[in-house]
Amino acid sequence: MLARLFATAALLVGIAAGDAGAQLKVVTSTSDLYDIARSVGGDRIKASHIGEGFQDPHFIEAKPSFVIQLRNADVWAFVGLDLEIGWMPLLLDGARNQKIMMGGPGYLDVSKVVPVIDVPRGTVDRSQGDVHPLGNPHYWLDPENGRRIARLFRDKFSELDPKNAATYTANEQAFEDRLNAAEKGWQADLAAIKGKPVVAWHTSWRYFAEYTGMDIVAYMEPKPGVPPSPSQLMAVVAAVKRTGAKVIIMEPFYDRKLADVVARETGVQVLILPPSVGGTPAAADYVKLMQYDIAQVAKAVK
Amino acid sequence: MPIMPRSIAAALAALALLSASAAAQQGGAQGPTNPRMLPDVSAVGDLVADLSPKGSTQPDLSRFAVREVEVALQAVVDPYFRGDVFLGFSDAEGASIEQAFLTTTALPGGLQARLGRFLMPFGKQNTTHRHDLHTVEYPYIIQRFFGSEGLKGTGATLSDVFAPFGFYQEFMVSVTDRAGERAEGLTPAAPANRNLDGLGYSARLRNYWDISEATNIEVSGSAITSLREQPLALPAGAASGDVNAVNVRQSVFAGDVTFRWRPLQQGLYKSLILQAEVMHQANDIPSVVPPLGRPGPGASAPPLAYAGPTSGYTGGYVFGRWQLSRRLYAGARYDALQDPEAEGARFTAGSALLEWYPSEFSKLIAQYERTSPSGGPALDRILLQASFAIGPHKPHPF
Ligand SMILES: [Zn+2]
Repeated sequence: MLARLFATAALLVGIAAGDAGAQLKVVTSTSDLYDIARSVGGDRIKASHIGEGFQDPHFIEAKPSFVIQLRNADVWAFVGLDLEIGWMPLLLDGARNQKIMMGGPGYLDVSKVVPVIDVPRGTVDRSQGDVHPLGNPHYWLDPENGRRIARLFRDKFSELDPKNAATYTANEQAFEDRLNAAEKGWQADLAAIKGKPVVAWHTSWRYFAEYTGMDIVAYMEPKPGVPPSPSQLMAVVAAVKRTGAKVIIMEPFYDRKLADVVARETGVQVLILPPSVGGTPAAADYVKLMQYDIAQVAKAVK
Repeated sequence: MPIMPRSIAAALAALALLSASAAAQQGGAQGPTNPRMLPDVSAVGDLVADLSPKGSTQPDLSRFAVREVEVALQAVVDPYFRGDVFLGFSDAEGASIEQAFLTTTALPGGLQARLGRFLMPFGKQNTTHRHDLHTVEYPYIIQRFFGSEGLKGTGATLSDVFAPFGFYQEFMVSVTDRAGERAEGLTPAAPANRNLDGLGYSARLRNYWDISEATNIEVSGSAITSLREQPLALPAGAASGDVNAVNVRQSVFAGDVTFRWRPLQQGLYKSLILQAEVMHQANDIPSVVPPLGRPGPGASAPPLAYAGPTSGYTGGYVFGRWQLSRRLYAGARYDALQDPEAEGARFTAGSALLEWYPSEFSKLIAQYERTSPSGGPALDRILLQASFAIGPHKPHPF
């Protein structure tokens, strides 16, 4: 038995050593980080992601197959701010990969380069629901943060793979150029959205609201992570009637039945909006995701 | 090891102080979030009610009980180890060290070693804390072979994760002081662990496949062997303290299958677990039974009769849990075994339950169970469980 273990260990060490100099192996928690990493890394990295864009990122299962994905990773990039707290510790513990453990060169907490909003003040406890005690982690839905993420990947990949630094710099610039061009294209949509009242399901649209200027007047969740209650539905109906909100924005992984209840009561439109790359086929990459979400909201609030 | 209630109070007071200072140091947005490097402090309360129609079926006949309070202290120790301490408090056992182990974080080649006391990596449900189960109690095969709190071991475990065939495999070997609790009042001529072959040795191989995006299956096997104290039939007039037990090899072999379905997009609302586990306990029969007398050399008296198990026992269970809504699940389990507590007589039990999670941090279970020992009357049981977790958010066990 021990001989078997040692043989396996020797084999694994051998594989790891043989890989030096090849593409950087990058695993990300979400499809958004994956897409931006791929834009910056190009063919110099081998990227994969754990969560899908149509899946609730708070509740991904720590499947052992993900452990295999992480075992040989050079970089583990995650959203942070406790978004992945329900599953990431099990995967990192199972992967036993020093490079991507906290303190390792490949442990990349992307939230470190982002200005975080909704950091609770004073004492937090769970009577407030499943609060994100370190602040709102859904920051990728602001293109300025998309740029920050890309620059972080540029710096990290260049640090780990300096001979390709020029490529990473060029790719990162190309990503920003593409995003800037797209951003010019959606200015009219932003103007249409600015100041318009909307209802959102979860606090996941807060950064998007900061960027677009849409005014979230009510949440379907009475408290973060808590499913809508009858009294909350009544409060949402009242808020819609009071503000004239025309749309409820919700992710594809929530059950729309309760949003439909509010829609029947008020005539509001239920808009299922992908929060992440791949959440719908049209949101095939990060730039297209932003483009799609902004266009959909603009259409709904006009 | 039970200690006095006063020590429980002292321990809890110390923990309260510790968590108070943990709370006090929060709130600094700048700098590290944990500058004093306090361990994570958390607690689980496990409350059980027994509303069975013919009286309580609990060992202490209680209708309402705090079955256990578990306090956990967890932190990274240094660049090489993580440390986990789980203290259990219960009316029956007082305070006890449920688990306390060091886990390596820096071994090469995917190896991980664990030293201390831990839930034995043996079988499937045994590796889950009792309060994290989807039923009120462990399956009967685990209770009858290892006790109502499952099989723990004190020693060392080495594990390795590999995927030479493209799917996840994990191999674990353990050596422990003994396998299973020591039966009260059994005195063998020498401790079971006197020679190295008397220690507990176990191995487990896990194999896991993703069948599709939404479905996966785990098929695993385990084995454990050790010397156990087994009783001898004493003649009338034997003194207490006399040798009344003999060390006999006992081995348990187990296989388990878990199938899971959870669609990615509707994963908040829909899921299914199907699980089955089979175990066989093999009991050697001692060739030499020691003579009557006190432990130690020099005793010379006629040999005693062996009163331990003389055959093997097999049993298992199937369990299923279907998600009804975001917070509500329905489950059922069927147990069948040759009961070692009734010389292998057939014992079956069927149960149905509802499991409700008001949040990720609280859980309520209502369970109806009918146990049918062969030769005895069937027994209806109604069990309710409430459990709660306070402290930092912990990952959800897969
Ligand atoms: Zn959230």
